[in-house]
Amino acid sequence: MTDAAVPLTVNGHAHSVRDVPGPERLLDTLRWRLGLKGTKEGCRSGACGACVVLVDGRATLSCLTLTHDVPGAQITTIEVGPEDAAVARVRAAFAQEGALQCGYCTPGFVLTLAGLLHERGRRAAREELLEAAGGNLCRCTGYAAIVRAVERLATEDR
Amino acid sequence: MATFDLSAPESPEAVVAALRAAGPGGATPLAGGTDLLFDLDEGRVAPAHVLSLRRLPWRTLDWVAGALTVGSTLPLRALEDDPQVRTLYPGLYEAVRNVGSVALRQRATMGGNVVRSAPASDLIPILLALDAELDLFGPQGSRRLSVDRFVIGSRRTELRPDELVRSIRFPEPRPSAFCWQRVRPSNDISQVAVATAYSPSDRTWRVAVGGVQPRPRLLPEAARELTGPDPPPAAVGRAAAVAAARSPFVSDRRASEEYRRRLVASLVERAVGLTRPAPPRSA
Amino acid sequence: MTAAARPDAGLKLTGSAPYGTDLDVPGMLWAAFVPAPVAHGRLRGLDLGAARALPGVTVVGPDDLPGLLGPRERDAERPLLVPDEILYRNQPLALVAAPSLAAARAAVAAVRVDVEPLPVVADLESVFPDWPGSDAGAHPQVAAHVHARHGDLAGEFRRADRVLAETYRTASVHQVALEPHACVAEIRGSTWYVHTSTQSPFGVREDLASLLGVPEESLVVDGTWVGGGFGGKGGSFLEPYALLLARASGRPVRFALTYEEEFRLGRTTLPAVIRMETAVRDGSIRARRVRLLLDVGNSLPGRDFATGYSIGFLLGPYRTEAFEVEGYAVRTHKPPFGPHRAPFAPQCAFVVESHLDHVAREMNADPETFRLQHLWVEGSTTPMGQTVGPFGLRPAFERAMTTARSWRAALGPGQGVGIAGGFWSTGTGAGGEARLRLGPERLTVLEGEREIGSGSVLAGLTAVAAQATGIPPDRIDIVYGDTATAPFDSGVYGSRTVGALGRAIQEAAVRLRRTLAERLHGQGQAELVVREGTLVATLGSRSAPVAELLTEAERAEGGLVADGRHFAAPNHLDEDRVVAGQFYPYNDFAGSVHVAQVAVDRATGQVRVERYAAFQDIGTVVDLGSAQAQVEGAVAMGLGTALTEEAIWTDDGRLVNDGLLDYRIPTLGEVPPVDVTFVEGYAGAGPNGAKGLGEPPIIPVPAAVAIATRAACGAHVTELPLSAERVARALKLL
Repeated sequence: MTDAAVPLTVNGHAHSVRDVPGPERLLDTLRWRLGLKGTKEGCRSGACGACVVLVDGRATLSCLTLTHDVPGAQITTIEVGPEDAAVARVRAAFAQEGALQCGYCTPGFVLTLAGLLHERGRRAAREELLEAAGGNLCRCTGYAAIVRAVERLATEDR
Repeated sequence: MATFDLSAPESPEAVVAALRAAGPGGATPLAGGTDLLFDLDEGRVAPAHVLSLRRLPWRTLDWVAGALTVGSTLPLRALEDDPQVRTLYPGLYEAVRNVGSVALRQRATMGGNVVRSAPASDLIPILLALDAELDLFGPQGSRRLSVDRFVIGSRRTELRPDELVRSIRFPEPRPSAFCWQRVRPSNDISQVAVATAYSPSDRTWRVAVGGVQPRPRLLPEAARELTGPDPPPAAVGRAAAVAAARSPFVSDRRASEEYRRRLVASLVERAVGLTRPAPPRSA
Repeated sequence: MTAAARPDAGLKLTGSAPYGTDLDVPGMLWAAFVPAPVAHGRLRGLDLGAARALPGVTVVGPDDLPGLLGPRERDAERPLLVPDEILYRNQPLALVAAPSLAAARAAVAAVRVDVEPLPVVADLESVFPDWPGSDAGAHPQVAAHVHARHGDLAGEFRRADRVLAETYRTASVHQVALEPHACVAEIRGSTWYVHTSTQSPFGVREDLASLLGVPEESLVVDGTWVGGGFGGKGGSFLEPYALLLARASGRPVRFALTYEEEFRLGRTTLPAVIRMETAVRDGSIRARRVRLLLDVGNSLPGRDFATGYSIGFLLGPYRTEAFEVEGYAVRTHKPPFGPHRAPFAPQCAFVVESHLDHVAREMNADPETFRLQHLWVEGSTTPMGQTVGPFGLRPAFERAMTTARSWRAALGPGQGVGIAGGFWSTGTGAGGEARLRLGPERLTVLEGEREIGSGSVLAGLTAVAAQATGIPPDRIDIVYGDTATAPFDSGVYGSRTVGALGRAIQEAAVRLRRTLAERLHGQGQAELVVREGTLVATLGSRSAPVAELLTEAERAEGGLVADGRHFAAPNHLDEDRVVAGQFYPYNDFAGSVHVAQVAVDRATGQVRVERYAAFQDIGTVVDLGSAQAQVEGAVAMGLGTALTEEAIWTDDGRLVNDGLLDYRIPTLGEVPPVDVTFVEGYAGAGPNGAKGLGEPPIIPVPAAVAIATRAACGAHVTELPLSAERVARALKLL
C-alpha cells in the first residue's frame, strides 16, 4: 500500500508522487519532492501554523498530515496563481497593509485566512478570521498589520 | 522513527480484521493524527501498519430524538460549526473550539481525543459532565460504555486492541458549561479545566475537572452540593471548596498543585454560573 | 494608519523568497549533530565506527579536527566538537551527513557514546545562595566580574531617610525566529562557499576564517532571505560544521536545526537575580546599589559581554548622586548566553522601573512624577560618566503621562494603567560601507546586509538613498552581494542598519552628486530629478539627462559608482569609576516610554493587556510604515517576555519546554492594539538625525505591564514573567 504512488493535485497540477514512506508528512512531500518551498517548516508540531496549506479547500497543518492519508486531495499552496480568488484576496490585503516582515509565517497566514474564506465565502466575519489566524504565530509584526489586513478582508465586500 | 505502511480500509469490519491480523501493537488506527503522530515520531508506538479511518462512514453528526450523536472521525471543526450544537450543548461547543487551532480542528476528531486519552484533554471533562456514552465497534459487534468507564488513566482506556470507537452519544440537551485557565489564553493546553452540566429531569449536577492526574475525572462530592437549576451561592461555594479539596492535582510545568486548587475553586464557581438553560430552539 | 506596501511583499506572498531552510542544491547531503547526553560529564568514549560504516554517510568526529578552534565570541578557545569535557546538554560531539535526514538520524543513532556524568550546575542560585562578596570574581563558576562606583555611597546610605531594598528574578527567554538556523555549504575548487540565513554574512566569514584556518579570500558567505533573527542569527553557528562535512564528503551539505534543537542549543537570554537598594532623602534618590547575578551558561571566562554591557541599564536613565554596581557572569551547564533583541535590557528596565515605582509608593510620592523628576535629559552625566546627547526621553515620558491620565479616567475595577521607560544605545558606531551605482534611469544600492524582515534594508535604506539623491524610491534597487562582491558591513544588530549604512549611503550620495556637478561643468552637488520620465541631473541652470553624463565605460558597467563608509568615533566612559572588569560605553541614546492598560482577574491572577501606547524617541522618522511596524512587533515580543515566555531548565540541565507548544510566544489573541507615537527632534547620529529603532521599543514592555498590574490589583510581582500564578501569589491567593 505504502509503496504505491500517491496522487495529489497541487495548485491545479496533477502529480503522482512515488516512493513515499508511510511516515512522510505532506509538508515534506510538497517541499522536497515537489520543490514547493513556499510552504514553510516551523515547529513541526502543529503549534506555529507556518506549514498550513489547503487540503480540499480546508486550512490544514501539513506537518501533522501524512501524505498517504490524503490521496487524491486538491492541495493549494502559497505558490498558487491568481485563479484562487480567496488566496488572491488575502494576498492583496496583506500587501496593502504591509502585513508581513520576515515573511516566514506569511504563507501559513495567507492559507489559513484563505481557508476560512473558502469555508465561509464572503460572509467571513472579522472574529472568525481572527480566530483562524490565532493558530498562526508571527514574531515580527506583533500582528497589528495582520489584524488590519483581516479587517480589510472582513469589510471589503460589504 | 520506525517506518510503517499506511492503508485505509473501506469498512469498519476490514479495519478490525486488520487489527486482529496484526496482533497487539502491530497496527494502529489513525483518525486525525494530530496527537498520534507525536507518538509515532518519538517511537512510543511503533506499529508496522497504520490504518487510516478516513474511508469509514463515521464523519457524521446525528440528532436522534433531539439528542446528539457524533461520529468518531468527524473533524471537530464540523462539530463547532453546527449551530444546534452551539445552542443546545454550549459547554461542548466551548470545549471543542478550545482544542488547538482552527487548522488543527480541521483534522482532529472526538474519537481520537477520547482514545488517545491525554491527561490534559480539554474534551474529556465535558464528555464526563455530559455523561457521554461511546459506541464501540468490535469483532463481536457493538458495545456501549460511558466515557467515565472508558477512560481509565493517562493514555489508558478500556478499548480492546481490535476495537474502534464508532460514535459518541450525548444525552438529551441540557445546560452545560466549560471553563479553563491557561498560561497563554489563546491556543494552549489548560492548566485546569472544569465542565459542568445540569440535568433538569432529575435535578442533578455533574462536575468534571481536567488538569488532574492521571486523567480528567468527575467530582460527585462537589456535584452533590448542588441541587436545582439555580443553586444558591453558598452551595456553589461549598461545591467549589469540595472540588478544590478533592481534585487529585499534582505540580508540573504548567502549574503548581496549590495554584491548581485555587483555580479549580474559581472555575467551578464560574462554570456553575454559566450553566443556564438554553434559549428556545429556533426552527 | 496604513503602511506603504513593502518592496518584498510580492515575493513573500507567493512563496518566491528562498530562506535558509529552503536551500536545495543538487546532490546535497543532510547533516545532524551527535548530541551530548548529559549537561556535564567526561566523554570516555565515542564510537563512530558503526555510523561510518553506513552507506553514503560521512562522519566528522573530534579527532578529525585537530587545531580547529570554536567561534570567536562564544566557544572561543574551545574545539567545535567536545574532545573531553561536556559542558551543556546536546553540545555537539560529532557530525554526520547522509543522503537524507532520516539516514543522518539513523547514523546519529548508530553512534555509541560513553560518558561519565559529573555534577551539574544548572541553577544560578545554587552557585551563590547568598550574595557573593567582592572576592567572588575568582570563583571558578564566574566568567566575568564587573564593579563600578562613584560618589559617597556609604555617606548617602547613612544619611538617607529611607533605604528600600528588593530582589528581582528574570527568566530565560528565546528569540523564536520562526525560521530555524539553516545553511548549505559547498566547496568549489579552493573556495569555501556557504549560503546561510544570517544577520551578518561578514561576521560569519570572519568567524569561519578564525575557526577553520581558511583565509577570508577563500571564503564566500552568501546570505539568504532570513526568517527572523532577533539577535539569534548573528555570528557563525552551523556554518563551520556544514563546511567541515562538505570538505569531508566532497558534497554540498545542508545543515538545518529542528525547532527542538533551536531551543536546546539556542544562545539567548538566561536567568538572572538582581538586588536593588535605593537610598532616599528629602524625596530624592541619593544613592543606589545594584548587584546582578547573570547566568551566562557556557560562556568562557573573560568572554562575557552581557554583564559589562547590561549592568548600566540596571541604573536606568535616572540621575543619582552616588552609586555602586556589581555584576557577576555566572557559568552554568547551559548553552552560552547570546543576544536577544536588546539583550537583557527589557529585564533591566523591568527591575529598575518596578523598583522605582515601589520606592515612590513607599515614599507616598506619585510614582510617575517621582521618576520624571530624576530622568536624564540632554547634557546629563550618566553614572558611568558619559554625557547624554540629544534625548527625547523626558518629553516622551510627559506625553505618556497625558495618555495615562486620559485612560485612567475610564477605568473600571480590576483595571490599571502603568508607565515605564527605558533607553538604548543604538549602535551607530559599528562600521559599514555602501556603494551606489547610478545608471541612466535607476540607482542601485549595493550593500552587504540582507533584509531580515524589519524593513531596515529594503524600506529604510531605500528611503535614505531617495532622500540623499533625490531619486524616487521606485527607481532605487537594493542589491545584496555575497561577501566576495558586497562592500563590508558588520551586520544587522544593535539597531544600527539605518544609522550606519544610511550614513554610508549619504556619504556616497554626496560623492555621486559632486561627480555629476563636475560633469555639468560646475561645483557643488548636482540635483537629480525625473523630468518627463527621464532621470536628469541639474546644477543651477544647467541640466542633462543622466544617460548623457555617463561615460561609455560606466554605461557598460551599469553606471557611475560612488562609495561611502561610516565608522563613528569611539565613545568613552569615566574609567576612574571602574573598579573591576570591563564596561562598555553607550552611544546615541534613544528613549522609549510606554503606557500599558491591563485587566487583572482577581480570582486567578490572569493579566490581560487591553490597551497599549508607545512613545519613541526616534530622532527622525526615515520610513513611517516600517518604523511603526517595528514598534508594534517589539511590543508584542516584549509582552511575551512580560507574561508567558520562560524557558524552564531542570536541575540536571535539561530544557523542559523545547517546543512552541510549551514555550509560549504571544498569539494574535494576546496582543492589544498599539498606538505608536514618534517623538522627533532629538537628533541621533544616523541620517538626518535618525536613531535606531529595532531594539528600543521592546525595552519598557515588561516594566509597563508589571506597573500596570500593580496599579490594577496591588500585586507587586518581582519576577518575570508575570504568570497568572505569580500574580496570584502576590495577591496572596495561594
